[in-house]
Amino acid sequence: MPKGHRLMSSVAVLSVTIASGAVGQDLTATYSHFGTPGLLEMPTAQSAPEDAFAATLAYTDGLARVTLNFQASQRLSLSYRYANLDVYEDPASAGRENDIARGFDLHYRLNNEGTYLPAVAIGMRDFLSGGPFQGEYVVASKSIGDGLIVTVGLGWGALGTNGGFDNPLGNGLEERDGFDGSDPDGQLASGDWFRGDAAFFGGVEYQINDRWGAKLEYSSSDYPQVARGVAVPVDSPFNYGLTYRPSPGIQLGLAYLYGSQIGISGSFELNPNDRAGGSGLENAPPPVKVRAADLRAAQSWDRQALPDAALRNALRGLLKLEDLTLTGLELTDRTARVRYINNRYRSDAQAAGRAARMMTQIMPPSIETFILESERRGIPISAISISRTDLERLENRAGGTDAIRQSSGFGDAGGSEELIALERESSPFAWGLGPFFQINPYTGDGSINVDLGLRLQGVYRIQPNLVLSGAIDQSLIPPDDDPTGGERTPDIQNVRSDGGRYGNDGVPVLRRLSLTHYSRPGPDLYGRVSLGYLERMFGGVSGELLWKPVESPFGLGLEINQVAQRDSDMRFGFDEYDYDVTTGHLSAYYDLGNGYHTQLDVGRYLAGDWGATISVDREFDNGWVIGAYVTQTDMSYDDFGSGSYNKGVSITIPQDFFTGSASRGSYSNTFRTRVGDGGARLSVDGRLYDVVRGGHKADLSDTWGRFWR
Amino acid sequence: MGAVLAMIRYARFAILGLALIGPAACGTLGQSNPVSQLGGALLGLGGGGDAAAAPAPATSITREQVAAEPGKYVRVFTRNQERWDTNVQSGSNGNRSTWVDSASVSITFENGIVVATRGLVRDLMAADVSETSAAIRSGGGEAQRRHEFLTNMDRISTELLQCRIASQGAETIERLQTKQNTTRFEEKCASETLEFTNIYWVNSAGRIIRSLQAISPQAGYLQIDMF
Repeated sequence: MPKGHRLMSSVAVLSVTIASGAVGQDLTATYSHFGTPGLLEMPTAQSAPEDAFAATLAYTDGLARVTLNFQASQRLSLSYRYANLDVYEDPASAGRENDIARGFDLHYRLNNEGTYLPAVAIGMRDFLSGGPFQGEYVVASKSIGDGLIVTVGLGWGALGTNGGFDNPLGNGLEERDGFDGSDPDGQLASGDWFRGDAAFFGGVEYQINDRWGAKLEYSSSDYPQVARGVAVPVDSPFNYGLTYRPSPGIQLGLAYLYGSQIGISGSFELNPNDRAGGSGLENAPPPVKVRAADLRAAQSWDRQALPDAALRNALRGLLKLEDLTLTGLELTDRTARVRYINNRYRSDAQAAGRAARMMTQIMPPSIETFILESERRGIPISAISISRTDLERLENRAGGTDAIRQSSGFGDAGGSEELIALERESSPFAWGLGPFFQINPYTGDGSINVDLGLRLQGVYRIQPNLVLSGAIDQSLIPPDDDPTGGERTPDIQNVRSDGGRYGNDGVPVLRRLSLTHYSRPGPDLYGRVSLGYLERMFGGVSGELLWKPVESPFGLGLEINQVAQRDSDMRFGFDEYDYDVTTGHLSAYYDLGNGYHTQLDVGRYLAGDWGATISVDREFDNGWVIGAYVTQTDMSYDDFGSGSYNKGVSITIPQDFFTGSASRGSYSNTFRTRVGDGGARLSVDGRLYDVVRGGHKADLSDTWGRFWR
Repeated sequence: MGAVLAMIRYARFAILGLALIGPAACGTLGQSNPVSQLGGALLGLGGGGDAAAAPAPATSITREQVAAEPGKYVRVFTRNQERWDTNVQSGSNGNRSTWVDSASVSITFENGIVVATRGLVRDLMAADVSETSAAIRSGGGEAQRRHEFLTNMDRISTELLQCRIASQGAETIERLQTKQNTTRFEEKCASETLEFTNIYWVNSAGRIIRSLQAISPQAGYLQIDMF
C-alpha cells in the first residue's frame, strides 16, 4: 500500500460526491441524412441543444451529403449543405451525370412541447438558391412516454412531390416554378417559398436505450425524374433506420431508403459550451507577492541598489516563463510600463494577469502602477493600467475579477520614445516544416478540391514590425485536372474560377513570399503595407489603414491593393494572364455586444466589380466563432453565372478548447456556396482588425474571467 | 468503374469531414512551452531582489522530512486524478497562503479552508469562507459561502452556498506514527445548483490539520493534510 494511502486512510473510506443540481436531460434529437434534427430524410420539430454545432456525413449510392448544422438559439437553427450527387441529364431521360449542390437551411421551432401540445416547427431547405432539395415544411412532433416521438408534417417543393395535393394555403400560391436545373443557381429563390403542391409526411422514432434507436418514416419526397433532378429511384415512400450513439456527441446511422438503397450516416456534435479542458489546465500562476505595509508608502526606490538593467533582465526572465516576450520597459519612481508579446494565451486578459503577477515579484515597492502594453507584429496594441495595491487586495477574493476590471484603465499604448527597448534574444529567423490541408472551393465546375501536403515556412524579422515571410507547398494529392475549364464566365477575368489549375503540376510551388510592414501612424491608427506574392493567385502591393480606439466597439478601415494575377504554375511570373487590377474596400467593424459582431465592406473586388460584403459572426467568449457572410456586386447576373451573390459560412475553434492547454492557435474553415469570379477579395495575411482587436477593451472584457487564472 | 468512382467520391468526403475537426496547417514555427520555474529566473536579479518568492516544488519529499519540518509541507490527494502530491508554500497574502505542488497545481488556504485553486480542470477562482471559519471556532453553526468559478465561456459564475457546520465529536487520527486528538466537523453546503459536504479534523489548538474539501463538480474533492 502506498504510504500516502495509509496516511489518509481514515479519510479515504468516505464516499461523498459533489452533486450538481442540474437535472438529467433526455437524450437529444438525432440527425437525419440532411444533417438537421429529424427522421431519415424528413425533418422533425425538434431542436439540437443550444449552440450545438454538428457535422453530418450521409451516403447512399449516388447521393453524398455533408451538412453543418448550427443551433443558433434555443429555437433557431441554420445549416449549410454540400452534396455530391447523381442528377438526371438534360433532357431528363438521357441518363445520369455527377453534380454538386450547395445550400442553406433554416429551421425555427415555434413552441416548446407541452403536456398535450406537440412542438411545432417551420423550416426551409435550400432556401437561398433554388437547388434540387429546395422545400419548405411545417412539422409537429410529440413525445409519448420516455422513448417514443411521433412526427407529422406538411411539405412543399421537394418535400411535396409524393402524394401532393393542391396547396392548402391557396390564394395564388398554387403555382411553383419548381426546380429548373438549367437555371444557374445563385438567385434568391424566395419566389417559390411555400408554393405549389403540398404533401404529408410523418414517422416515429423510438429510443430503445441510451445507445440504440429506431426510426420509421413516410417520406413526401419521391425525387421525380426531371432535368438536373436528384437521380434517386424511389420505389417506396417508407424509409427505415437504426441509430447508434457510442458516446456523447457521436451518432452513427444505418438506413434502408427508397425501398432499394442502403444508407449510412455519421453525425459529430460539438458544443462551444462544453469545453473539454474545463476552465483550462495550464500551470498555476505565481501568486501576487505582497509588499510589506511600510514599504508600500515609499515614494521612490534606490537605483544604485537595484539598477534598471538588472530589473529589465530579471523581468524578461520571469515573463519568459509565461511565454511572454518583454520588448520594452520604462521605470519611474511610481510607475512601471512594460511592453510584451503574448505568445501563449488565447486570452490577452489572462496574459495581462500573468504579467502583472510576475511584476509584483520584483518591482521595487514604490512602484504602484503597472502599465501593460500588448504588442503584436511589432506595434503596440493597447495599454492596461493596473494598481498594484488592487492586485494585492483582490487576489483570490470573491468579486475580485470584476473589481480589478473596474479599477483598471484601458487606453491606447504610450509612445515608444521613453521605453528602453530590449535586445532580441532569439534569432530573427524562424522556420517550420509541417503538413498542410486545404479546401479549395474555387474550381470551375463548382466541386471542392481538397489538398494535402507539406509546407515549408520561413519568417525573417528584419525589425519587429518589418517581416519577410514565405511558404513553399508540396502537394501530395495535387488537385484534379479541371475538365470543364475555367470558361464558365467567359467575359469575366477568371480571378477565382481557375483556382483548381493553380499549383496542380505536382512540383513544389511558392504559396506566398511577402514583405510586410506594420506601423502606428497616429493615435488610434494602425497601418500595414504588404508587398510581394501575397496569395496563391495574386501578387502586388497591399496597403491598409485602420482607425480603432481601444475602448470603442467601432472601427473603420481602408484597404487599397494593386495586384496582378500570378501564373498558374505558382512560380514567380505574372505573364500568363496579363491581368492587373486595383481593388480595395472601405470597412466598418462593429461589436454589437452579446457575442455578435458585424463587418461591412464596400468597394471593388478582384474582377473589377463593385459591391459590398456584410458578415455577421456569433463569437463565443471562449474563442469559438461561427459566422456567415454575403456579397453582392454590380456584376451582371449573366456574367456572374453561378453564385451571383457569394455567400458562405465560417467556423473557428480555438485549440485550447480541445486540449485545455494555453494556446493561441485555432482551427478554422470557410464553407461557401458555389463561388464565381464576382465578389472575390484578395486573401492577404495579417489584416489589421484581426491583429489589434484581441488587445482592445471589448475582446479583453470577453475573456476577463481569465485575468486571475 | 462506377463503384470505384463512388469510392473516390466517398474518400474525398471523408477527407472533407476530417477538415472540420483537423488543423488547417501546422508547423514548427513558434513552438515553445518551457516549464515554469520561478526561482531560477530570479537569479539574474541583483542584490536587491528577493529570490524567496517561490522555491521550486519538491518532488520527492520523504515522510521523515514532512515530520521533521512541521508547517513546511501540505500533503494533498486529488481524488479525481487519484494523485498524491506534496505542496510547498509559494506565497502569502494577508491571512491566506498559497501552496504549489510538483504538477504546478496551486491551492490557497485561509485558516486551513480552501479559497482558491489553480490548475485543476474546474478551478475555484475565489471564495469567501470567513463564516465557515467562525462557525468551526464556535463549535458549529450556520454559514454562508460565496464561491466563484471560471465557466467554459471564460466568465466568472458565482455560487451562494448555505452551509451548516456541526461537530461530530472527538476522533483520534493517526499519521506519521503519531496519534492526534481532534474534533471532527462536518459542513453541509447547498446552493440551487451545487451540493457538497466538507469534513474537517481540528486539533486542540483550533487548527485544521486534516480535511476533505470540495472544489467543483469537475475537480472533485481534495484530501488535505497540514502538518
